[in-house]
Amino acid sequence: MTLSIHVQYFAALREQAGRGSETLATGSRTAADLYEELRERRGLTLPRAMLKVAVNEEFTTWDRALTDGDRVVFIPPVAGG
Amino acid sequence: MQTFSFSQAPLEPGQFRDALADPACGGYASFEGWVRDHNEGRRVRRLEYEAFEALAIKEGERIVAAALERYGVRRAACVHRIGDLGIGELAVWVGVAAPHRDEAFAACRYIIDEVKHRLPIWKKEHYEDGDSGWVNCERCVDAPEHDYSRQVALPEVGARGQARLRSSSVLVIGAGGLGVPVLQYLAAAGVGRITIVDGDVVESSNLHRQPLYEAGDIGRAKAVVAAERLSRMNHDLHCTAIAELANAGNVGALVAAHDLVAECTDNLRTKFLVNDAVVRAGKPAVFASIYQYEGQLQAWLPEPDWPCLRCLWPEAPRDGLVGNCAEAGVLGPVPGTLGSMQAMLAMRILLGIEPAPVRGLVVVDLLTFATRSITAARDPACDHGAPGPQAAARDAQAAPLEVEFASLDDARAAGFELVDVREAWELARDPPGLDTGMHLPLSELLGGRLSFPADGRRLIVCAHGVRSLSLTEHLRQHGRADVYSMRGGIASLQG
Repeated sequence: MTLSIHVQYFAALREQAGRGSETLATGSRTAADLYEELRERRGLTLPRAMLKVAVNEEFTTWDRALTDGDRVVFIPPVAGG
Repeated sequence: MQTFSFSQAPLEPGQFRDALADPACGGYASFEGWVRDHNEGRRVRRLEYEAFEALAIKEGERIVAAALERYGVRRAACVHRIGDLGIGELAVWVGVAAPHRDEAFAACRYIIDEVKHRLPIWKKEHYEDGDSGWVNCERCVDAPEHDYSRQVALPEVGARGQARLRSSSVLVIGAGGLGVPVLQYLAAAGVGRITIVDGDVVESSNLHRQPLYEAGDIGRAKAVVAAERLSRMNHDLHCTAIAELANAGNVGALVAAHDLVAECTDNLRTKFLVNDAVVRAGKPAVFASIYQYEGQLQAWLPEPDWPCLRCLWPEAPRDGLVGNCAEAGVLGPVPGTLGSMQAMLAMRILLGIEPAPVRGLVVVDLLTFATRSITAARDPACDHGAPGPQAAARDAQAAPLEVEFASLDDARAAGFELVDVREAWELARDPPGLDTGMHLPLSELLGGRLSFPADGRRLIVCAHGVRSLSLTEHLRQHGRADVYSMRGGIASLQG
């Protein structure tokens, strides 16, 4: 079964993905699997260890199981000032 | 010569100037205030100055002492005329001698501004039509110069909140795109004491997003310029400039000496340094960063279970991997907005305005104006920057990978033991007499037939510094903090 997930990208990830957000159908079951899937599909270069993932407005761990309709956000730290 | 005095007799600036002569000074700046022949549309014939001398001399001496300390100038003095003065006469003289001109100009400006503002000196103008009138000293005008009534009117502020701001001290680290609005709003709001830490000078590429600075400031220390502007903007403010980078040596004492810290730099190293210092000292802090049209805002409060910067970013990348303003580009209102949000957050914390800040990150997108609060939990595995094995591993990651030497002898003198990882056939081409130390060809290391020495401060060399760099990176990832790569390799020595 595929899940429908809304994904939002920030900062460098937004540039690499070429979009700020998308809703996609995925077979991935965890946040980590989803990111790895998107790394390939969207050409994202940042390793997972440098990012935070939030599901439904709450930071979470990468092994978090996804459910249909989740809103997932990938955020790298930024440093400009 | 006294640092501040009054004179009934006409002033002799030549004498005053000579009294400040100092062989250690390469710059002298002076200001002279003259009696002019008009004021607010009326022709003035002569002036009378009257002062409350005992009080004015004490306050005048304090002003000069503050200028000496604040700007690091060596000699300064001010003389004010009292009594009857004709048009064109010298009413006030300020002189400053300093090692360099920048400090001399700044201190001179500071002294005359403060004297005009703070001293109980009254001026009576005699007009051509025979009329005359006292002109209030600037300090004694009826309405207070800085009126906080519009913010005091807020029930969350009130007189009590205003007094709280007045007795508060804020350390602002970074006086750039984020720091400028933070400084402007906190200074204007009546925060009593602000310390500005910034090691940079104003550059022409800063001006589009740091509107506190002017073209004429280019090349001057940001911290000093900002402190001057803020002191002039609000005379209630006690503002100190520290024109150096926040570093491990100064950050602890600075954080401890303030009630709240605003972290406004553009690099992760400083952000984490400040994070560790505020966690250790138990001081609230507000952090912000931007990337193109996005910003991130985070508060840290000394409360149980509050997540710190490291809880969110346990493996922060090196600065090179996340964009900065120079590489990624930036529009002024982006740091302007995030800095204003930081100032708002700082005032909420200082005044205790509900609700409490978000435990986690506020992410702002200025293209859509979408704002998102993402809560985070304190990470039980995080050491919050305390010294220990995690910190040592982080230091190993953070230390520069490459070092540069003009000769191998210089490298040895700096305490390095050399490890040459070139292949045997490469060594055969070396000029006679070149001693590159221990020879461990990379092919043998990779094949597992030889192993890298387990300890010691090692400098890895190869032909051009490429292989040595990748080996250094590999060793660092495996916890070796004391290995470095020689930039440019052997080729850089022969060139």
